[in-house]
Amino acid sequence: MAEIIIKIENLSYRYPRTKKWVLKDINLEIKQGEFLAVMGENGAGKTTFCQCINGVIPHSQRGKMKGRVIVAGINTVESSVSRLAQQVGMVLEDPETQLFTTRVRDEVAFGPENLNMPVPEILERVSWALKDVRLEQHADRQPTALSGGQKQRLAIAAAIAMKPKILVLDEPTSQLDPVGTEEVFTVIKALKDEYGMTVIIATHKSEEIAKFADRILVLKEGQVQALASPQEIFSNTKLLKENWIRSPQVSELATYLAEQGCPLSSFPILPQEAIRLLTHWYEEAET
Amino acid sequence: MSDSAIKIENLSYRYEKGSLALHNINIEIKKGEFVGIIGQNGAGKSTLLKNITGLLRPTTGRVQVNGRDTINVPVSDLALEVGFVLQNPDRQLFAATVMEEVAYGPKNMGLSQGQIKERVDYALNAVGLSHLREAFPPALSKGDRAKVVIASVLAMGPQIIILDEPTSGQDYRGCYQIMDIAQEFNKRGHTLLVVTHHMALVAEYTNRTVVLMNGSVLMDASTREVFSHPDKLKMTHITPPQITQVARALQPRIPLSGTILNVKELGDELLALKGKKRGRVGSAG
Amino acid sequence: MSLIDYFPGDSSIHKLDPRVKVVALLIITVSIFIISNFFVIAAFFLACLAFWRVSGLPFKKIKVFLKFLLSLFTFLTLMQALFLPGEHYLLNPLIPKSVPLIGGLGRISLDGIVYGLLLSLRLLTLVLFMPLVTMTTEINTLALGLVKMGLSYKIAYMTTTAINIIPTFQNETQVIMDAQKMRGLTVFEKGRMLDKFKAYPALVVPLVIGAMRRAQLMGVAMDARAFGAAKTKTFINDISIGFLDLVALVAVLVFCGIGLAFNFIL
Repeated sequence: MAEIIIKIENLSYRYPRTKKWVLKDINLEIKQGEFLAVMGENGAGKTTFCQCINGVIPHSQRGKMKGRVIVAGINTVESSVSRLAQQVGMVLEDPETQLFTTRVRDEVAFGPENLNMPVPEILERVSWALKDVRLEQHADRQPTALSGGQKQRLAIAAAIAMKPKILVLDEPTSQLDPVGTEEVFTVIKALKDEYGMTVIIATHKSEEIAKFADRILVLKEGQVQALASPQEIFSNTKLLKENWIRSPQVSELATYLAEQGCPLSSFPILPQEAIRLLTHWYEEAET
Repeated sequence: MSDSAIKIENLSYRYEKGSLALHNINIEIKKGEFVGIIGQNGAGKSTLLKNITGLLRPTTGRVQVNGRDTINVPVSDLALEVGFVLQNPDRQLFAATVMEEVAYGPKNMGLSQGQIKERVDYALNAVGLSHLREAFPPALSKGDRAKVVIASVLAMGPQIIILDEPTSGQDYRGCYQIMDIAQEFNKRGHTLLVVTHHMALVAEYTNRTVVLMNGSVLMDASTREVFSHPDKLKMTHITPPQITQVARALQPRIPLSGTILNVKELGDELLALKGKKRGRVGSAG
Repeated sequence: MSLIDYFPGDSSIHKLDPRVKVVALLIITVSIFIISNFFVIAAFFLACLAFWRVSGLPFKKIKVFLKFLLSLFTFLTLMQALFLPGEHYLLNPLIPKSVPLIGGLGRISLDGIVYGLLLSLRLLTLVLFMPLVTMTTEINTLALGLVKMGLSYKIAYMTTTAINIIPTFQNETQVIMDAQKMRGLTVFEKGRMLDKFKAYPALVVPLVIGAMRRAQLMGVAMDARAFGAAKTKTFINDISIGFLDLVALVAVLVFCGIGLAFNFIL
C-alpha cells in the first residue's frame, strides 16, 4: 500500500485584490507513485491547483489561501519555495518562458546551481537528467535550436535535476505537435516507472490520459467534481458533458452504442481493448 | 477561374538564411472549400500561410487570391480578402473594449460609423460574444479572447478565412466552438483554411486535406482519402484520429465500407452491419 | 536582426573573459565620449571594424541597423550645419541679417557639417562596439562575470535578463506588426509619419501585455527552480583571467590612452 505523499485539506484560494475564490474547499490525498491527471474546462482552477503544490502559491503569488497543503510531510505555507522545489518539480505550458540559458547543459544545471550545490554533484545530476529525457547528445546546443518536444523534455530534465519526488506539469503539450506530445508522455511514463515519481499533470489530452493515468481529478470553478479512475470518468456521460471534457474516441463510441441500445460488454478507454470488444460484440451470435 | 479562391503555382520560398522552406508547391482551392493543412512542425505550413497573406513574397512561382496575383498587393489590402486568425490571440488585442477591438478592422477600411456598427454587431453575433461588447479583452478567458480576434477578422468581411492552430491552448469547448463558427461561415459560402495538429477536428470538419512534408505537398485529396493512407502519413509522423485507426484495425473481421472519419459514422455503420447480421442469422435459423 | 543575441563562434574575442570585455567596453565608451577630434574617432571606428572582422560576427547585421541610423545621422548633421556658429560658411544666409529675430538663420556652416559628421561617427562607433561584447558572450558567462565583479547574482541575472529581453521585443514587434497588418492596418506599409504615430497603441499594447505575461510566467518558472534560495549560487562554468585577457586589456588601455593624447594635442 503506497503512502500518501500529498495531503490537501480544505484548500481554498483567491488571487490578490479579487473577490472570487478560484479554488474552493478542496480535499484530497495523492499516493506516492501515482499518475494523477487534472482535467476541467479552462478557468476551472487547474493551474492554480498546480501552483499550490509546489509552493508558488502562497509564496510567490500573494492572495488569500485557506486550508493546508502537505507535500512529502512539509506544509507548503511554512516552507520556502526553494525547499519545496526539491520535492516538487514543475514544468509549464510554454517552452519559451521557462528556459533561461543559452546552453542545454546550463539549463539543467540552473536549479542545482541555485541550491548552491558543489560543481561535481551538479555535473552528475545534469548527466543523468539529460539521459533520462534522452537529450544527452544535445547537451551543448542552444535551447532555442531545439524542437518543441525537445524543449519540453529539457524543461523536464531541468525539473528532475533537483531530484524531486513529485513532478507537476501544467499543460506541457498544448503547444506541441503530436510527435512532441508523444515524446513528452513517454518520458513522463518512464520517470514514473523508473523512479516511482508521483506525476500530476493538467491536460486536455484524453487519449494519452487513458493510457497513463491512475486517477483523474475533475475541477470545475475551483471545486472537485470527481476523483476517480479513467474508466469511471470517461464512462460518466453527465460528468463529461457538464465539464466539457472529451473522452477518448473509443469511449465516445462505446457510449454511443450504449445509447442506441447495443452496448459493449465492458467500457473501453484504450484502442486495443476497444478493438477486442467491438470484434466480440459484432461476432457474438444473437439469442 | 472565377470560382478560384487561392491558386498557388510552382511556389518556392527560400529564407534569408538559405533554407528552402517551400518547394514547388501547386495547390488550387476553390471558393467554398473547407481545407485542412497538416504536417509536422517545420514542414512549411506557416511559410505557406505567410505567402498567401502576403507577409512573405514568393521566391519563385506565384500566388493568386480571388483571381488576382498577390505580388504587389500590400498585406493590409490582401487582408480584406484573406482573413487570418493567429495562433496567439494576445498578439493582436490592444483595445479597451471588445467592441473597439472588433471595430478596428472596419475602421481601417474607412467605413462609415453606421457600417462599422453593423459589421461589429454581425461579427460579435457570429461568435456569440454580443453580451461581452463592453468587456476588457485581456480579462477574458482564453477561449473568449480567441473569439474576439476571430470576430475582428470576420468584421472585415473577407471571403477567405484562415485559422492558424485555433485549438492551441483551448479546452474542448473552446476548440469546438471555434470550429463550429468556422463551419457556419463555410456553410455561408466562405472558403476556410485550417492549420492544425488536431486530427479529429480535421476529420470532422474539413472536406479536403493538404499534407505538407519538408516543404512539399505529400498528399492533397479529400480528407477521407488522405486518412485512408496511414503508412504515407506515418512518413511524416502523422497518425489519423483514434477512431479511424480503430475502424481500420476492425476491417478484416468487420466489413466496414471504407475509411471512417468520426465516432458517429463508425457507430452507425457498426449498428447497421450488426442489424443485417442479426437479420441473416435469424433467417438462417 | 538584433545586435544582442549570442552569435556562436571561436574567435579570440569570444574567448576573452567577460569581465575584461565589460571593462574594456567601459574604457572605450568613456574615451569616445571625451574625444572630439574627428581623425581620432575615425581611428576608433576602424579599430572597431577590425575587431568585428576578428570576431567573425556577420557584417550584414550592421547593414539593417545602418539604414535606421543613416536617417538619424542625416538629421544630426543637418541640424548642426544649420545652427552651429562657425567660421566658414558654404551658403550665405537665406534670411538677411536685417530681419529682426530670425535674421541670420538659414546658413550652412562647414564647421557645422563637420561637427555633425563627428557626432554621427561617434554614435556609430559606440553602437558598434557594444555587440562585440553582447554577441560574443553567452548570457550565463556574462552573469558569472558580473557576479565575480561583485554584483549579487540576483542583480546580475536581472541585468542579463533585461539585456536578453531586447531581441525578444524586437521579434515580438515584428510579429505584432504583421498581425496588425493583417487586420487592415495600412500605416506600416503606406502611411504618413503622423499616422504611424497614431497607430502605435496597436503595437505597444500587445507588446507590453505580452511582456508582463511573460515576465509573470518566467517568475513562476524561476521560483520553481529555487532561484534566490541560497545566498550564493554555484556556477558550473568557470571563468578565469588568462594571459591573453591581460594583454587585451592592456592593449585597449594603451590604444585609448594614445587616442586621448592625440585628441588633446591636435
